[in-house]
Amino acid sequence: MSMGKLALQNFKSSFKNYLALILSLGFTVLIFLNFQYLVYSDALTILGQQNAEYSEILVQVVSVVLVCFIFFFLWYSTNVFLTKRKKEIGIYIFMGLTNQKIGRLYMMESMMTGGTALALGIGAGILTTRLFQMILMALSGIAADIQFHFVLQPILITAAVYLAIYFLFVLKGYVSIVRSSVLDMVSANRKNEYVQQKNWILMGKAIAGTGILASGYYMATKDGGQEVMGNVMIAVILVIIGIYLLFDGLLPVLFQKLAKNKRFLYQKERTLWINNVIFRMKKNYRTYAMVCILMLCSVTALATGFAMNERYENIQHFRNTYTYQLLGSQPDLDRQITPLIEKENPIEYSTRAEILMLDSGQDASESYQKIYGLLSYSQIRELAGLANLKCDIEEPADDEVISVSHLYLLSLMTNRNHVNVTLDGKEYHQTAEINEPYLGYLQEDMEYYLVNDRVFQMLLPKGQVLYTYNYRITDPLNYKASLDELDALTNGNPDVYTGRIAIDPENKGDEWIKVAYSVCVFMFLVFVMASGSILFMKLYNDAFEEKERYGVLQKLGYQRNKLRKAISRELAFAYVLPFAIMTLSSYFSIHALEKMMNTSLLILNMVSVAIILLFFLLCYLLSVSMYQKNAGLKKSS
Amino acid sequence: MSETKVAEIKNLVKDYGTRGFQTRVLKGIDLKINRNDFTAIMGPSGSGKTTLLNILSSIDKPTQGSVILDGKDITRISNRELSNLRRDKIGFIFQDYNLLDTMTLQDNIALPLSLNGVSSKICLEKTLELAETFGLTQHLKKYPYQLSGGQKQRGATCRALITDPEIIFADEPTGALDSKSSRDLLECLRLVNDQQKATILMVTHDAFCASYAKDVYILSDGKIQCRLSRGLTRKEFYDRIIDMQSSMGGDFS
Repeated sequence: MSMGKLALQNFKSSFKNYLALILSLGFTVLIFLNFQYLVYSDALTILGQQNAEYSEILVQVVSVVLVCFIFFFLWYSTNVFLTKRKKEIGIYIFMGLTNQKIGRLYMMESMMTGGTALALGIGAGILTTRLFQMILMALSGIAADIQFHFVLQPILITAAVYLAIYFLFVLKGYVSIVRSSVLDMVSANRKNEYVQQKNWILMGKAIAGTGILASGYYMATKDGGQEVMGNVMIAVILVIIGIYLLFDGLLPVLFQKLAKNKRFLYQKERTLWINNVIFRMKKNYRTYAMVCILMLCSVTALATGFAMNERYENIQHFRNTYTYQLLGSQPDLDRQITPLIEKENPIEYSTRAEILMLDSGQDASESYQKIYGLLSYSQIRELAGLANLKCDIEEPADDEVISVSHLYLLSLMTNRNHVNVTLDGKEYHQTAEINEPYLGYLQEDMEYYLVNDRVFQMLLPKGQVLYTYNYRITDPLNYKASLDELDALTNGNPDVYTGRIAIDPENKGDEWIKVAYSVCVFMFLVFVMASGSILFMKLYNDAFEEKERYGVLQKLGYQRNKLRKAISRELAFAYVLPFAIMTLSSYFSIHALEKMMNTSLLILNMVSVAIILLFFLLCYLLSVSMYQKNAGLKKSS
Repeated sequence: MSETKVAEIKNLVKDYGTRGFQTRVLKGIDLKINRNDFTAIMGPSGSGKTTLLNILSSIDKPTQGSVILDGKDITRISNRELSNLRRDKIGFIFQDYNLLDTMTLQDNIALPLSLNGVSSKICLEKTLELAETFGLTQHLKKYPYQLSGGQKQRGATCRALITDPEIIFADEPTGALDSKSSRDLLECLRLVNDQQKATILMVTHDAFCASYAKDVYILSDGKIQCRLSRGLTRKEFYDRIIDMQSSMGGDFS
């Protein structure tokens, strides 16, 4: 029989065993292909030039994340596959096959598995692209008629990326087989993975892991200015390393200690499942660490999406505080403007504000002179009352200012207080920052500061005064009606009127954020599913190895109930441990995000963790049932 | 006391195959095992030894006849009761040891007791005691893959003994062992039979192995052909078994 035929035969006979692997590999291909399709098909062009560009950048970023994910996923799954195959095809060594030939056999089989997964993934991917795009658009709240187009490029890119990574790991497996000894190969499955390290090294790892994790949490939630971005990056790396070390050190030390404490071990079914966890220690801790990190990513991705979407809606709301805003140099222009607007639309509310434009003065620390807009405390209180805006701030002291800022889509600075501002050469202490849209859209263009009335009066002669007349009409959608007349007014008196703003409530300027939001939701689902399926796949393979052992136990007269209980415990542990550490870590990552976005995400955190919990519960129940079947504790019929 | 009945088989018949194409493997076997017996069942390949042991140990069901173990007819009781019976009353020693390679030898030996909910203190004490008897104290912390065949089989024997079963079934216990390890194991079995009054039923094709028993039944063609009882020495008993084997012919290997 030729090698090719032998490989094909092996592949066919073990197809069922590798179904879980093939399906999950296929699933990753499907996801990646769908994202690539998004870029190369014209689905995003309906968002308009600017938005499509942003969205494409976003999808490309997600693609990079996905490539990283595929890399680790393939690394993991080919490793599991290799250990399993090593033992099975190791038998051929007794038939006179060289390591090289066995390696080739492995490569052929793996390529068949990988090829099948790729074909399945691409096939299913092409079939689901339209559905995917429809869901994405629906989730983004964008009305679009999506057609199916067959595009070759995304398929080629997906296949190339996948095959390149897959081949790399298959090659790694080949090298590993060629280098391994006969004994290694034949007993690959029997040897246990008891971690033979000194307890203090393991403890050291566990403590270092906890320490690094804690400092990761600290870095993530630390207040800061511009350096926050760097802190977050450091935090991400620290958390990943910390989680890995924690599992690497704590899991072996804890379980090996437990196994040594026979008084504890010989109770209930502990001796079975605790020993089982130790038996596959290396595989276990790597899987748990990976799943934990993946889930953490998923929760954070979801929270980012939500926070950005919420922020986007707030910004829209912020901008729509007023429908029209006119700037002028005289204090009584409303007598001209109000009747013009009222001719077309009833006015819901209107305000007027006096802005003192002032430069920072002679200050050596600034490289250029900034212009600030100053507002007086009493007029803002009055304005807030008219426009139904919140105003619970206390009047600043003579040397204090309050920054009147606007919402940023993604602001990284978490510490905005206690900054000094120089106005007309004198330093003022900034005590707070508020984001109420007192000046509506105008507030987005310049830095405004609130000072008390005395300071305002004192500084009045130093700068230039500008008046803004703000109107909100009852039907903002009808804003176009007064535009011509307002333009005629402003254009006719250029020395009195300096500007006009009209807000289109249906402005599609930042629609890409909605896409970003749904992509985040999608990433959340993908990562959660991936982590669930990684655990499931691991347990699926473990179960096959357990078949013999559970057979022995049954022969010895142990009721299936009892054995099932041990299985439930072992599996529950596999799901609960990574979940628990993820839940703890997610609190910190979400908290960091909360600080940056200046919003509360606790409920979202709880909801996303609850979704994962539900999904894991489902996976757990499925795993238990599958495990029992694969371990021969259930009649397969 | 030694006449107390532990197991009794009456007119045991076992057929294999589908209706119309049946082969009768056991053709009416009667056997009685009393407390503190050390019985060996010998026979050539295909004589039905393993089938008999499987039925006795409740892994297989007979076509006809009854098997009474611990006062109950095991052909008529529920699966649940069977499991309990196997767990509490029977100890097994397999040809291929069947130790769990996920755990240390100590945990393997303690397994039956710990799963039965016996307090961990007693589990520990009994494990250490048995390990001492079988010369395994030094190897308790090792995993099965680190042990020799003989050590593994002695470990498996400890596991079978730890629950103080009514009867121990041993299926070719020396089948995978070299002669030195075989001797060690058989000596151990004899020791527990003599000192701890354990009842042992062993199936083997090896005359040397059988000669350690007190009684040997020779099974051939689905029937018990004869019974030999031990005389003065093991050597003399061994010679008689060999004589009987050669007079009967057949492939005993």
